[in-house]
Amino acid sequence: MTDFAGLLRTLSNHGVRFIVAGGAAATAHGSARLTIDVDVVYDRAPDNLERLIEALGQFSPYLRGAPPGLPFSWNAATLARGLNFTLTTSLGAIDLFGELTGGGTYAALVPGSIAIELYGVTCRCLSIDQLIAVKRAAGRPKDLDVIAELEAIKEESTNR
Amino acid sequence: MPPGETPSDSVIDAYKRDIDRTLIRHNLSLTVEQRFEQLKQLQEFAQVLRAAGRQAAKHS
Repeated sequence: MTDFAGLLRTLSNHGVRFIVAGGAAATAHGSARLTIDVDVVYDRAPDNLERLIEALGQFSPYLRGAPPGLPFSWNAATLARGLNFTLTTSLGAIDLFGELTGGGTYAALVPGSIAIELYGVTCRCLSIDQLIAVKRAAGRPKDLDVIAELEAIKEESTNR
Repeated sequence: MPPGETPSDSVIDAYKRDIDRTLIRHNLSLTVEQRFEQLKQLQEFAQVLRAAGRQAAKHS
């Protein structure tokens, strides 16, 4: 089970620059779907990689689905060499995205993102239009239903 | 198909007809934190269901 409060508080308290994306962002906007991980887009500036390492390091991050015992080192050099990481931690599953198809990097996404107050911290979250755009860009059949729900949320929000 | 519309728009419109808007309206009446608490409860329920399913499979 994912400790959403724990993950978001940890990242925020360590000053990590990130934007909540994926199913968790959809939940923030009112989606009724079950999601079991937290997707975040993170800033790849060196200081932010260090913050991310510090924030999640105490929660045993490891590559999700990888066999145990791989030589995976949780450090800034590892993050700098990769881009997107699907991780398991003792707080639950978290996916780190250096870039989103159809949305770009943290720097490209942050101006259009929104601030949400959650569990005593303020986080950036993809706007509903950004979420729809990245889901459309992903072009996966499984996202069609998700896009339909997000568009219905937009319509219902407008009608309120 | 109206001009400017992509083929996927028609597909998404078809999916949209089956969206349960009562759930959306309920969620929109909640705070963001309440929406996450609801998700947490749903995760717990899913975990209980999975455990029950495993148990049932063991005894069948």
